[in-house]
Amino acid sequence: MKKFDYLGPEWRDEAEKGLRAELTPEKMKFLTTSVTYSYKNCPGGGDKFLYFSCENGAPKDFLVGAGDGPVAEFKIIGDYDLYSKITQGIIKSHTALMTGKLKVKGNMVKALKLASLADRINKILAAVPTNY
Amino acid sequence: MTAKKDPYFIDFPKRVAQVQAAMAKENIDVYLGSRLRTMSWITDAFCPWRSYVVIPKEGLPTVFTFVIDAARIGDESWLDEDHVLGYAPVGGMDQITIISDFIKENLGITKGIVGIEDGISNYLPEGNLTHYEYKSFEATLDGCTLVNAHHLIDSLQLIKDEGTINRFREASRIVDVGHKVFRETISNGGWKGMTETEVAGICALAMRREGSEWEWSFTGGNEIASGYHTAYAGGACTPPTRKKLEAGESLMVDLHAMFKLALGDHTLNYFLGNATDRQLWHANNFVDIVKLTLKAYKPGATPCSLALELMDFAEERGFAEYMVPGFEHGIGMMGDEWRIGPHTGPFAYWTDPDHTYQENEVLICAMSYACPDEKVGFRYENPILITKDGCEALSKYPLGVEIIK
Repeated sequence: MKKFDYLGPEWRDEAEKGLRAELTPEKMKFLTTSVTYSYKNCPGGGDKFLYFSCENGAPKDFLVGAGDGPVAEFKIIGDYDLYSKITQGIIKSHTALMTGKLKVKGNMVKALKLASLADRINKILAAVPTNY
Repeated sequence: MTAKKDPYFIDFPKRVAQVQAAMAKENIDVYLGSRLRTMSWITDAFCPWRSYVVIPKEGLPTVFTFVIDAARIGDESWLDEDHVLGYAPVGGMDQITIISDFIKENLGITKGIVGIEDGISNYLPEGNLTHYEYKSFEATLDGCTLVNAHHLIDSLQLIKDEGTINRFREASRIVDVGHKVFRETISNGGWKGMTETEVAGICALAMRREGSEWEWSFTGGNEIASGYHTAYAGGACTPPTRKKLEAGESLMVDLHAMFKLALGDHTLNYFLGNATDRQLWHANNFVDIVKLTLKAYKPGATPCSLALELMDFAEERGFAEYMVPGFEHGIGMMGDEWRIGPHTGPFAYWTDPDHTYQENEVLICAMSYACPDEKVGFRYENPILITKDGCEALSKYPLGVEIIK
């Protein structure tokens, strides 16, 4: 099975396919929101981002790249290594948040409403064959 | 927020603008409030968990409260959900980080003056910034200087607007209903076998039926005392206990209702079953000094002038030894209790004995009469509005010490 480099262009395309196929507006509660995952200390140095937005529950933009990424309703900041472990299911995202390894910016009350949706997104991303 | 024509309308944006104008005069770039009195006065919502309000130079304030209560406060406050944020033990969301990041990133303040609320209080839930919080904010806002600025809020809170006064009137009306229902309940020997806690509950139910949000006082809700509990020397704090009411005892019923964060606080006193001539002598002294006190409150009077006048009266009548020489405590929206006016007196963070009352101040006319040796005591508390030439007692229940047969 072909594996894709984590956060690379092909990985992005594969992940987007999964998101568009599996995230229906019903599953996404018809939400309009956006989140930027900020990856610190990436291999080779520098920071990367993954940006995801949906409108009325339908996935809209799914971007990856270098740097801080677009401004979003929520921003989640963590080390690349940590994110890779979360995506592989080695560390639970809740654990990372509760231990302060992941840092959130945004309205916490709204974030709580979105927590289960974030888990669904993560499961889809985890299904992409990936070279970390 | 209530509509302008609503009798309980308070112009909260105007309040915020007044704070911002005061901040500008003192070159304060952002105000970080933490006291319960500040939270109530700015947000119009009850904030029982540790909360903060960040007031920028311009624009709306933002509240930070424990995440489990943020959605409710967002619902009840005039501020929208984007201005009521929750903090939690989550990365980036703890109270120090979220507030510091907000000030630096959202407000763009990395250098400047941050007004904070520091001090000391006899009121436990005051909510001054703790030493830990101060040191933490000092570290995270390292380009800023933290200065004590509570006086800005305190001076604005002193004179009550019409909506606030009307809320106080309604809270007092509710308390009066509590007293009326209780009086009916204890008639014809209905008090026999009751405990102080039961009395507190009966009154609480009656007041909640009228719309009271809770028996707001941190002193145990409704304070009910009977027998020797009414007569603690210098005492004015009587959380109800499981003590049963007994014939021949005095009974003190101090009810607290809250209506839209305004506070009702009125005490009535009784004798149960019968009273001796000596007990009635004490009661007459008490009633007479309450009447005199209510006549003495007016613009221009001070706590000191009142105490001198009233203690002279008590001395002449021979009961000064049973009185505490204080006849008031402060009151405002929830969290604003005890101290009256600014911190200008000889003892920091206590009422200035020379504070001059002004029209439209609201305070609690309060006094304690206690004779521990005879196990008899009385309390009077009633919110009063300082009027143009006197005062208006907001609870209207008739004054007296009734014998309940």
